[in-house]
Amino acid sequence: MPVDSADVVVIGAGVSGLSSAYFLARAGRDVVVVDKGIVGGEASGRNGGMVSERVDEPLLIPMAVEATEMWATLDEELGHPTEFVQEGRLQVAVTEKDMGDLLAEREVAMRHGIDVALVEPPEIRDMIPGITVRTLGGLFFPNGGHANTQLTVQAYAWALQDLGGRLYQDTTVTGLRIVDDRVTSVETTAGDFAADVVVGAAGPQTGLLAKLAGVHVPVAPARVEILATAPVEPRFPIALVGNGLYGHQAVRGNLIFGGGAHEWTDVNLTTSPGKPNTPLIRNIARRLAELLPGAADAPVIRSWAGVVEQAPDYRPIIDILDYPSNYVVVTASAHGFGISPATGKVVSELVLHGESSIDIRGLGLSRFADYGADWREKRGWNPAPLRY
Amino acid sequence: MESRPLVVVGAGVSGTAAAVEAARAGVQVTLIDENPIPQAMAALNVPQFFGQRFNPVLHDRALMLERVGAANEALAEAEEAGVDVRLGTCVWGAFRNSETGRILDGPQLGLADNEQSWLMKYDRLIVAAGARDLGVAFTGWNLAGAMGANGAHALMHHYQALASRRMVVLGAGNLGLNTARMALDRGIQVAAVVDVSESARGDRALSTALQDDGVKLYTSHTVKEAVGSDGEIESVRLVKIDDNSEPVAGTEKEISADTVCLAIGLVPSVELLSLLGCDVGFEPELGGYVPVHDDCMRTSVRDVHVAGDAAGFHDGMVLDTEIARNQGRLAGVAAAESLGAIDTAEATARRSDLQAVAIDSNPNDACANWTRWLRALRNAGGSDVPVCPCEEVTREDLIGLRPPRFLKWESERRDGRSLGTLAPDAPVNPDQVKRLTRAGMGHCQGRLCREQVALLLAEASGSDIADMPLMSYRPPVRPLPLRVLWSHEESDQVRREWAKWFSPTSPVLE
Repeated sequence: MPVDSADVVVIGAGVSGLSSAYFLARAGRDVVVVDKGIVGGEASGRNGGMVSERVDEPLLIPMAVEATEMWATLDEELGHPTEFVQEGRLQVAVTEKDMGDLLAEREVAMRHGIDVALVEPPEIRDMIPGITVRTLGGLFFPNGGHANTQLTVQAYAWALQDLGGRLYQDTTVTGLRIVDDRVTSVETTAGDFAADVVVGAAGPQTGLLAKLAGVHVPVAPARVEILATAPVEPRFPIALVGNGLYGHQAVRGNLIFGGGAHEWTDVNLTTSPGKPNTPLIRNIARRLAELLPGAADAPVIRSWAGVVEQAPDYRPIIDILDYPSNYVVVTASAHGFGISPATGKVVSELVLHGESSIDIRGLGLSRFADYGADWREKRGWNPAPLRY
Repeated sequence: MESRPLVVVGAGVSGTAAAVEAARAGVQVTLIDENPIPQAMAALNVPQFFGQRFNPVLHDRALMLERVGAANEALAEAEEAGVDVRLGTCVWGAFRNSETGRILDGPQLGLADNEQSWLMKYDRLIVAAGARDLGVAFTGWNLAGAMGANGAHALMHHYQALASRRMVVLGAGNLGLNTARMALDRGIQVAAVVDVSESARGDRALSTALQDDGVKLYTSHTVKEAVGSDGEIESVRLVKIDDNSEPVAGTEKEISADTVCLAIGLVPSVELLSLLGCDVGFEPELGGYVPVHDDCMRTSVRDVHVAGDAAGFHDGMVLDTEIARNQGRLAGVAAAESLGAIDTAEATARRSDLQAVAIDSNPNDACANWTRWLRALRNAGGSDVPVCPCEEVTREDLIGLRPPRFLKWESERRDGRSLGTLAPDAPVNPDQVKRLTRAGMGHCQGRLCREQVALLLAEASGSDIADMPLMSYRPPVRPLPLRVLWSHEESDQVRREWAKWFSPTSPVLE
């Protein structure tokens, strides 16, 4: 006997899985979410909290634009606060190359009808108190913003439960039972969950999970780092990108900024990957003090790391598969937090109607049909050998 | 990058003993101690609960270096033995490779002084980082003048800079009694020593001598609140408690004091050990989470040893410093042996000279004492008391899983949520509660609240404190300004190849 059964079983209580579950529940579907750990325990609760229209990644623009509109009312929608602030996103150039990149992004934005403005250094200094006088210019996106990642994942989870969805944490998937061409139940350490549809939203474990169904989804896990200062004055509500960093000032006043080299790594299906910080945080601190000299005295009070996944082209994979025919793959290539409301909408539409009203062309799994099991090695994306 | 055969962190009794022992065995030893600490850090209640009760002389770094050096007689012995002693240097991080982080070319520490940070590799490490003050909340404990016993001890003994005139001490174990003794000997009035127990828990002779000197002992009492103006404590209201730790009506008394010193317990400083992945286990009689170690003070990580209060603290160690000294010497011998400076026969001979470490000589359950205090303080003070003073999270905010008050979030659906609705979904995890309420997220890095948060969560969810996972530690374990943490020696390659986000050329940090 299954321990529970549902119209849809979502594997992974990260932001993509929970948003998918929420929108499915809102559409009247009976939904169960299982996770080996806690809500948002991995990258979904540990990222920079950035929300943008993803002009840097044109294939994502339709979803990202929809998401920025949905974020504006998400707190009311969910009934729980996400700490979302929509006061815009400023990307500043500190080198001539940066400036060239910004001008190119501006072209893309204008072509897609996205609000954008070039801003001059004096204006930048008014927008971001304490910023370096050495910016060459900036690009301002009024619809950008930021949110609190940890409040957001819990908001999705509670909103799902408020609609009758069930959440099983500390529940590790051990197998996917397939009959004919459909997954009929999800086998876990807590027992079996019978399902009509299964959504695999397992972040860095996406590839390992799909393998249980005999499907090859090429994603490579990587560890990235971020740090936080104590609250500092004066405040700025605008999300900020520049000097090799991305981040924002939280409503409480903490500066939260990340960037720098990532490290390819490996994960498994049963345990939470270690997330060590490295001395890289000193380099992040340096870049932040260079970018915001006015905050150079702000004490750094913590740092953290997260393990994200990347598909070979750095883009999400969102697809309902041909085989198993009731299995949906959702993996965001570390773009998941900002686009999460749209992800939920797309997945619910894929499950309900087989297609999405939002343009997701280019995000299907078939684009990687030629990728063999050795693709990471060929790309140089395998972890470094463990020394000493 | 600087590289040293043996680094000892902490120049207290155990750390200095470890350094001397290893140096005499022929090892090149570097002994690091963060004292004197920058005043800005003391103001954040790091690493101890200083409660803003330091006088401005703390600013004078040269004088403080002199006093810190003079207060530790064993340091001269260490220097004579050839130990490279570095005062005024904090260890804010410890890094080693693991499955998911492989970029380092060896285990290393993050160090900093007032001006800059740097990295230091080691072959062996002895963590003798001591213990920190246990925080337990009452109304007014966020005023200047509420402080901890280790904070008071450092300001009295190392810095001669305790700006206190009249003190009430909470806790009549050896920790509290010893604090009262030290204060009296320095001309500070001690108005009262208070304990929730029926009698003083500490050394009888010490307690009698204090009372002979006019210190009033209030047993079966707790604090109702500390009262003050302009952010400073002016008096303390005590109340008698009954067998159920409930306040007894009509027994309140107000005692004038500018300082309330919490001497209820000390918590082993396991931050660095935790960052290095050393196994820790919950030992209620040793102050909570302590590193797993063998008789030679070796931790579960091959090149890391531990000694002194960081290995586990009990009240008996306050008056008997031989325990910490022996642990330090054992760690020094083990490090020297594993570095090949002495052979196993000699190490065994040296060990046999050291008495067995009397860790089980104190059967008292420290956590039971904490719990008693917590209950008495809550029963007397209510639930609208800030557990996390940095982020202003009250007891009821914590248990109700209230979003931070500055969000001013109101909704009926939210009001249906609390720890009670979270607990059935999965075992209660203090890190998850921290992220939702911000308790433990402030500038003191959770030092003042983590134990009472764990106790409150355990109580509210009907579980044992020992089942609460250790709230995570992240570097930097000292709050360092961006300009100090700043990598001044960043290589051109790192600078050139810095990746804003994933790109085909993202380099690995060398």
